[in-house]
Amino acid sequence: MPRTYEAVYIFDSTLEDAAINDKIARFHGMLGTKEQPEVAHWGRRQLAYSIGPRENGYYVVSKFATEPTTLPEYERALKLDEGVIRYLITLHEHEVGAPPQSEEDLAAATRRDDDDDDED
Amino acid sequence: MRRPQKSCPFCESRVRWIDYKDDRTLGRFITDQGKILPSRLSGSCARHQRQLSTAIKRARFLALIPYIRGHQA
Repeated sequence: MPRTYEAVYIFDSTLEDAAINDKIARFHGMLGTKEQPEVAHWGRRQLAYSIGPRENGYYVVSKFATEPTTLPEYERALKLDEGVIRYLITLHEHEVGAPPQSEEDLAAATRRDDDDDDED
Repeated sequence: MRRPQKSCPFCESRVRWIDYKDDRTLGRFITDQGKILPSRLSGSCARHQRQLSTAIKRARFLALIPYIRGHQA
């Protein structure tokens, strides 16, 4: 069953945009997804602390749905790529296990909390 | 003595999931040193405090917020 993931890549800011796009296309090609992953380029920004000699990084956020079995190979490629300073892959399944709360539910929860307080 | 109940800032603004990429919001819940603010001070509920700590740790790893503020390597 495919699961939705979100990946953030920090590329070396000295790389050219075309090279970064090539790398992203190569990484996403490994996932074997039917749908095109959503990619958001944040662009070059200053790092909150220096990573080795680097003070800046090129941030890219992507969201995709893939089989978990494809991840080890994809992650290995990210790890070995010298243009990638850092990456983070997280599950993006916020809807699972947390149905949206309606106004009534919220009011009921608040009432319950108030009742609990009274008992103390 | 029970301390007075503070209301959770995330529940108030109906946030269901705290985004680790939102460094501006996370920045409000760390101290001047860069430590995670305890729920006793921020007023966050247990559920949001758990989400907040995970989000801050992820944001630190991605160099969106510092591990230690004002630290010069």
